[in-house]
Amino acid sequence: MNTVVYDSREERKLHRLILDLVRARELLLDLVWKDLRVRYRYAAMGFLWAVIEPLAFTVILTFIFTFVFADRTAPAQLTDGPPFAVMLLCGLIFWQCLSASLATATTSMVTNKNLVTKVRFAREVIPIAACCMPLVQLAIGFILLLATHLAFGGSVGGTLLFIPMVFIVQFVLTIGAALFLACAHVHYRDVGSLISVLLILGFYASPVFYPLEMVRGARVPQWIVTAYMANPMAGLLTCYRQIVFEQRLPDMSLLVWPCICAALAFLFGALLFRRLAPTMSDYL
Amino acid sequence: MTPIIEVDNVSKVFPARRGPRALRGGLGLRDWMQGGRKTFKALRDITLSVAPGESLGIIGRNGSGKSTLLSIIAGVTLPTSGRVTIRGRIASLLELGAGFSPVLTGRENIYLNAGLMGMRHAQVDEVFDDIVAFSGIGKFIDQPVETYSSGMYVRIGFAVAVHTNPDIFLADEVLAVGDAEFQRKCRQKIGELREQGKTIVFVSHDLGIVNTLCERVVLLDNGRMLQRDTAQQTITYYLRQVGQEKGVHAFGDAETEVIHCDGRVSVFHERREISAANGFTMDIVSLGQNHSSRDADWEVTEKSERDCTAVGKMARLPITLHWEFVCESGRLLWRIAMICDRDCPIDQITVLLMLPTGYARWLYGDLTGIFPDIAPTDTSWNVLVSPEAKSTETAALPGADVALPPLMFRMEKHNTFFGLLWANTEYLMYSRVLSAQARFPEHENIFSAGRHDIMELTIDPNIPLESISDHVFSSRTVRSGPVSARFESGCIRLYWNDLALTTYLHVYTSLLIEHLWNDSQSLQWRSIVPIDGGIRFTGESRRFPFSQEWEVMEGEQGLQLRLWLVAQQELMVQECHTTIVVPAEYQRWETDHEQGVFPPHDPDRPNWKHCNQSYAPGKRIAAWSERLPSITMEADDTCPEVRMTAINTSLQENARALQALRPSDVGRLRFPAGRTPYFSGNIRIVLPDAT
Repeated sequence: MNTVVYDSREERKLHRLILDLVRARELLLDLVWKDLRVRYRYAAMGFLWAVIEPLAFTVILTFIFTFVFADRTAPAQLTDGPPFAVMLLCGLIFWQCLSASLATATTSMVTNKNLVTKVRFAREVIPIAACCMPLVQLAIGFILLLATHLAFGGSVGGTLLFIPMVFIVQFVLTIGAALFLACAHVHYRDVGSLISVLLILGFYASPVFYPLEMVRGARVPQWIVTAYMANPMAGLLTCYRQIVFEQRLPDMSLLVWPCICAALAFLFGALLFRRLAPTMSDYL
Repeated sequence: MTPIIEVDNVSKVFPARRGPRALRGGLGLRDWMQGGRKTFKALRDITLSVAPGESLGIIGRNGSGKSTLLSIIAGVTLPTSGRVTIRGRIASLLELGAGFSPVLTGRENIYLNAGLMGMRHAQVDEVFDDIVAFSGIGKFIDQPVETYSSGMYVRIGFAVAVHTNPDIFLADEVLAVGDAEFQRKCRQKIGELREQGKTIVFVSHDLGIVNTLCERVVLLDNGRMLQRDTAQQTITYYLRQVGQEKGVHAFGDAETEVIHCDGRVSVFHERREISAANGFTMDIVSLGQNHSSRDADWEVTEKSERDCTAVGKMARLPITLHWEFVCESGRLLWRIAMICDRDCPIDQITVLLMLPTGYARWLYGDLTGIFPDIAPTDTSWNVLVSPEAKSTETAALPGADVALPPLMFRMEKHNTFFGLLWANTEYLMYSRVLSAQARFPEHENIFSAGRHDIMELTIDPNIPLESISDHVFSSRTVRSGPVSARFESGCIRLYWNDLALTTYLHVYTSLLIEHLWNDSQSLQWRSIVPIDGGIRFTGESRRFPFSQEWEVMEGEQGLQLRLWLVAQQELMVQECHTTIVVPAEYQRWETDHEQGVFPPHDPDRPNWKHCNQSYAPGKRIAAWSERLPSITMEADDTCPEVRMTAINTSLQENARALQALRPSDVGRLRFPAGRTPYFSGNIRIVLPDAT
């Protein structure tokens, strides 16, 4: 009885974060489950949409870039890599995982306002749950990727084990950004709109439907390439491709910057969130 | 003991939002610049602590910071300065079921909601069945909650909250939701929790509930803590403190002080509150919906030191309540009227006088009784005596060692449907109730536009305990030496000092019209008028177009009785009589023509049995017993011709009857329109040795 369960002065301290999250693990799963149910409720095809969505996107983009803009994308066709559709799918599922995470996590505190303003719990679980939900789609998408890869005559090997290691970096990065954006959105609702614009920009500014080599080989000033590489997804998406298609360890040089970004984003996001979360309900 | 909740010097400032205030009207750049500075101070330097097992109430007007304090204790938001320490798990009952996701099934929501309160799945598994049983959701548990009714939502929410077994409950007006049945369950559960020694922090407008549930009550005003004391003290302070408001007026005379506060009346005598915390209120049920006077918009239109007139516009009814109070030498007169703006259906009107549990006995008509204790399991009102007793005077007597004055209540009703009843409330309200209630039958429930006087209530705290029972009946009693006659709901009870001389139907009349007996008890009796040497009262038949007028006066060796029949049109009566029903102790009878002994009651005979042989017109009938004085009924010269009859009632009724009968000789019992004598005579009551 005498153990302090709640002390308003301790609320903003970061060191309790891990403990809080461990305690709230089941709650996190419940919330993910809730988000999934909300997303696919009354959909006749249910979770099938997790397959159809990336597939349809791939078909559309493949059509555009192999027929409509065939001339301009010639270099992509000429490389001895995998077929365009498979290459695209590989970038697309990981990009969509990031973009779906950020889009839902940003507004998550506001959509779950009824929870936040009524009960005290580790608030971090809400944006983190929003980041976890797309993992399900990613898993389905990844199986789809392997299937198409094999169908187009590719082969897979033990190097696939590197995928989770690279993905951890992306996931930490996502959570860091999500925590930050969720906070920011509570205080400035402009963030929600801004992020949807930025995600469209990010889609084009990341090597999703083109390989990174195309940017490097393009005749543009060096600073543009440097600026491009500042996007951690540039390195990450390329790493996935190297693992899946070239079946080798990814270039460590590509991973250094995303790792730094992820660590910084996570630290900053988590700190800011801890600091602001306890009074968030005042702004909802 | 280490406090379970410690609030230390807490202030809370709500930041103003930046950004344009409205969608239209430019970018709101100015607002943006200034926005950060316009803050709102919701709480200022609050310090309090709650010991384990204690229950704390928080009261205050809207916007006084009650809910903010609660949410700071709940940990939903942080104080701007100061510190809150909680040493136990909290379950918040704030807006039950609000955290539910409509898409999830009841089962999933239970796990999710319990998880938010810090329970793990394994722990929920243990209480899951209890939760389902308590909420009464049953087979709907695996349906998405969006298919639930709002009541079911709240039920599950409450069930989850109470089954997470926390140390502290935070409640914010939760008891105002759900259906009546569930509210009862809620209240019972909260009572139980309190008995179990859980800590409860309770925010409510319902002062009655706060009063019973909370040992200590904090009064907030404008973010400051004004008072922190026992429930009674704080509530009293609150009522006085809001005295400047427009719907409030405090007045009084002698030792009585009355506070009218927005449709609730609190009465103090010698600075002690004689009303319970909920005060005196009025409820109107229209179209199945209950409207309380406390929800009306009140304005005190006239006030002085001794009286007060308040007008309350009901929120959702086209009705304005008109309350007039006069306080004179300690006695409070409360005139209740209502003005309907247009025709309005009203099913029921109830005036509720809540009294503290210090009152131990009630006195009502001939009846008296003890208020039973109110147990935590009492989840509904427990009616002790119903309006069937029909008295309009009643009293409440304090228990031994209770410093409360005996209270006498007199109801002068302007609407005949009203009756008084005494009840115990459920555990949470924890009071005695005197309820003046009228249920209007279907064809009489439309109140036309205009003013309707409802009743006048007199509350008198000045009568000494010894003489209160006399006072209860004084206006309806006629005395003549040791003999007294008390009129009560269509009959007259006769007493020799304190000895009851009549039983069952007492002194009453009955008329057989169109093969239907119309007993005087079934007439609607209006108020009693004092006349020279006695009283007069009038009763109207609801079935046939006639009324009866009775006069009871002091007479030689007893009483004088004069009865009239007032017919609105010519009335054909098959048979009629005036009867005194006396206990079976009376053994001998005598008329002008014969005398005899009442035989033992025949157990097989359900009807009354005449004992006399001669039915010749007569003037006199008498009965004797060994212990009780003799009773003689004599018709005088103005009385129409009657035949005196001695009758045995059935065994169950176990009584004798002395009857002045007027049988149907052809044409004799035609009562012309107007006032005709019905019976006139004396009742002589003499001790046996005096004859």
